[in-house]
Amino acid sequence: MKKALALILALVMVLALAACGSSAPAANNDAPAADSGKTVKIGVLVSDVSGEEALGFRAYYENYIAKNYNVEFTYTEQLEDAAAEKAAIEKFAAQGYDAILSLAASDRTTQIETCEANGLYYAVVSGMLDDAQFEQFKSNEHFVGQIGPSMDTEFEAGYAMGKYFADQGAKTVGIYGAFIPNPMHVYRTAGVLAGLGCTYGGASDKDGIAGQLFGDQGVDMSKVQCGDTQIIGYFQGFGDTTFDELFAIIGQQPDAFLSVGMATTFFADSLNGANIPYSDIDSFTSGNAANMADGTLVYLAGKYSSSIGPIFAATLNAVNGNPIRDAQGNALSISQGYLVATDSETFDNIFNGDKGDSPIFSKDLLDTVIGAVSYDDFVSLVESK
Amino acid sequence: MDNEAILRKYKRRQRLIDILPVVALAALFAILVATVQSKGYRLDMYLKIVFNEGVVLAVVATGAVFIYTLGSFDISLGASTLFSATLGVMTYNATQSLPLMILVIFGVAVGCSLLSSVLASVFHIPVFVTTVAMMSVLSAIAAQIITTNGGAVGGISIPSALVKPLDNMGFKIAVLAVFWLICFFVFDFTKIGRKQKFLGGNPVCAQLTGIQVNKYAIIAFVMAGIGVGLGAFLTLVYTPSVTATTAGSIGMNIVVAIVFGGMPISGGPRSRIYSALVGGFSYILLNNILKLLIDSNIGYGVSQIVSAVFFLAVVYVTGLNYRSQMLPR
Amino acid sequence: MKTSKKIIGTLAIPVIVAAILLILCAASGKSMISSRTSFNYFVLYAAIVMITTMALSINLGSGRFDFSLGAMAVLASVLSAKLSYALLSGGAGSAVLMLCLNIVFGALLGLASGALYVTLRIPPIITSLGVTLIYEGITFTITGGKYVMNEVRNASMTAFAGNWYWPLLIIAVVLALIVYLFDHTRFGYDYKALQSGQKVAVNTGIREVPNAIWCYVICGALMGIVGFLNVARSSNINGGSLNFGSIGIMFTAFLPMFIGGYIGRFSNDKLGYLMAALCMSMLNSTFAAFSNEISASAQSIINAVLLVVFLIYLNNEGLLKKILSPKKA
Repeated sequence: MKKALALILALVMVLALAACGSSAPAANNDAPAADSGKTVKIGVLVSDVSGEEALGFRAYYENYIAKNYNVEFTYTEQLEDAAAEKAAIEKFAAQGYDAILSLAASDRTTQIETCEANGLYYAVVSGMLDDAQFEQFKSNEHFVGQIGPSMDTEFEAGYAMGKYFADQGAKTVGIYGAFIPNPMHVYRTAGVLAGLGCTYGGASDKDGIAGQLFGDQGVDMSKVQCGDTQIIGYFQGFGDTTFDELFAIIGQQPDAFLSVGMATTFFADSLNGANIPYSDIDSFTSGNAANMADGTLVYLAGKYSSSIGPIFAATLNAVNGNPIRDAQGNALSISQGYLVATDSETFDNIFNGDKGDSPIFSKDLLDTVIGAVSYDDFVSLVESK
Repeated sequence: MDNEAILRKYKRRQRLIDILPVVALAALFAILVATVQSKGYRLDMYLKIVFNEGVVLAVVATGAVFIYTLGSFDISLGASTLFSATLGVMTYNATQSLPLMILVIFGVAVGCSLLSSVLASVFHIPVFVTTVAMMSVLSAIAAQIITTNGGAVGGISIPSALVKPLDNMGFKIAVLAVFWLICFFVFDFTKIGRKQKFLGGNPVCAQLTGIQVNKYAIIAFVMAGIGVGLGAFLTLVYTPSVTATTAGSIGMNIVVAIVFGGMPISGGPRSRIYSALVGGFSYILLNNILKLLIDSNIGYGVSQIVSAVFFLAVVYVTGLNYRSQMLPR
Repeated sequence: MKTSKKIIGTLAIPVIVAAILLILCAASGKSMISSRTSFNYFVLYAAIVMITTMALSINLGSGRFDFSLGAMAVLASVLSAKLSYALLSGGAGSAVLMLCLNIVFGALLGLASGALYVTLRIPPIITSLGVTLIYEGITFTITGGKYVMNEVRNASMTAFAGNWYWPLLIIAVVLALIVYLFDHTRFGYDYKALQSGQKVAVNTGIREVPNAIWCYVICGALMGIVGFLNVARSSNINGGSLNFGSIGIMFTAFLPMFIGGYIGRFSNDKLGYLMAALCMSMLNSTFAAFSNEISASAQSIINAVLLVVFLIYLNNEGLLKKILSPKKA
């Protein structure tokens, strides 16, 4: 009897869940008009809640943009996989949100399709879809666009960093490939190898090197051929052997240590202790400022927190009925480069110039592209910084 | 109080305790409905989301009940789900055949489960440790395949149009219902379930009566494998892509779900096939309620604390009638 | 057992492992430990593995599964990092203060975990699931999910991590204390009695509850030390782990626990854990030397296979000896 009762109740619950949920979701049709005064609600998908860059982005949106515009941001928890991303978008839709800004990249195709199904606008905040994905969605009216470093830009950032040390006459370097096979880190590492004047499996171009790095899941040192600057050690990831690998490199006293991400968080202390100059592709944060002042961080290619301002403006425009499209009616796709600092003064100028109430992409600047604005004007603003 | 009165009291309390997980599910369901309504959100959408979040966990955990009934513990089911889905996607991309993809998903899932079982039973290795090793191996291989083939996108996928027609409530309810009813029948109406409960409750006694441990362990792992296969397929139906982190949370959530549903972790005669279904959906409902009520970034930590306290409270109450003089192990 | 056999039995595995790994390194023109700094980290890692293994084995040996070890280590470190920084601002003595605070906070967290277990009287594996979620939630709430860096980066910590004799001193002190506590005190005798026969031990008047609580307190203190050593090694604390993200540390201790237990047959299981930790640290250093050839995925697979192979040997030792021994005419 009790078993039957329990079963019936359980099945009723599940069927109730299913029955209530089976009606087709309607698109969010109550998008605010430009001057309706209704708060625009934006959901932000995140896959990193701990990194300094992610925290800087969040502070800009929540502490600056939200105070200056009639907009409300809601961040997700750390989204681990594609299913979590899709569920998060559906929840935002159920809560009547207007748009999704994505900093998560497990499955962007599904993200866009889910936004479309639920009538939400969607934009990639920092990063880019791959070419095939962009082709697939560029004419989708719910896809606002993408502003951030493209894979070409990632390669170029790595290349410039490698070349900087080659030009400085570095004879020996160690390299940290961060979280390869994360595509961003693959392209940066490919750029570093090319910038140092090395070939990888005989290739010296972006696609030739990156393609092999994906296949090898990292840098296979036996495939590296260098000229004047020799790579004495390479490692990636963060696990039990990370510090052994780092110290194997430090023990050989390289002229420089080149990292394509997270060096300050993981290795600054050890590199400082060994007086080995290092470089990183990261962001303009207080941690990096301190290390640049110490003199151990000698090269930083970084994003700054308010670099995500323009994509917000484009999304707000779309929600308010002023979508920015190119001449063919396609979504925005603007590659945003990195700012580079090789001394404390330059670093501080960028870092201090993008703080709190006076970010680089300030309200005054963003206001120039909020409302009915042409594609070219918008691109000009993004590329001006 | 005479013995009969004590027994009556015990039975009454036991009846209450037995239905507590279901009552908890009903209460959580009501709270979610009330919360969503009071906030003015779309209830129909919210319930669909909760169902989608819970269905994979419920299916995999229902299959896992057979293993847990034996008093064993399998921590590799999340990794098996990932591995099966990975090989399924690779198969489709190589052959463009949906039936073959489904066949591979189920074959791999059952194969992985059987491998754990065979390693444990043939070589006499503790099941839990075997599954720890399987977890490492399966996730490592899946990650290697995904990242090697995923390239700049970072994951592998099948065309979304292929599984979109199946991404609806009717199909998922049918899958859940059919699998659950089969499990219910095997568990409660055949000698397989009865003998497994006997083995879980008193393995020495069960073996002395002639029950073959290995045979029923293998059956349990096969049932769990089928659950994993279904879970992997439903994962692909919801999102047609696989990354190295897909199904990452399922492994531990299965344990939480089964226990939350009122089943003892030691298995045995008090095992219930509905525990996984009830517990899985309860846990998902609870987490959603807390996320609706506790906002902000730091709130995620707080909601996890509240969720854990609620979990311990439910488990404490459902185990009230089984306190012994000694500490449980 | 003869003393010579004891010594050979105790040292055989580490010596064989060292020989194999050194030959492998030499054959490839690599060095397992290439510098003094590498040696510092070799000792530091050995200390981490040994103490984690001890913490895992104390409760697991008594049938108490504890998923919360990792969460305890991280939370103890976060609390002590914040407090030591508030008191000394990273100045002289910070490392010593943080180590002491880590032990205190670890012991308190262990006490809370143990108290919950004996109060609720639900299986320890379930309590530990709840405790893990709670401790992860508290850590996340305190840190806001961020890395803790400034509080743990100072000259004092660098000096600690940069000298092998500090972790060696910790190994010696912990080993001596644990051997004394478990092999030469009333608490230890009771622990062993409860371990080998819970019911008989309780019936003979051994107080199980205080003994269990002390076990949790000791585990907590040990994991506090592990938390400190991890901070010294990586100079940051990841405060963003939720949903069982912290349990991985437990799995890494399985292999050394079984190896240590085996070595313990010849001498003492705690000494066995030290020997096993040395083996693991040598393996880790070899992986580091071969990092360009052996990926992280491959390392996971190798560790898992080693675990399974060792367990197959351990659980089929008698059979293997029978098969391999020369047949009498």
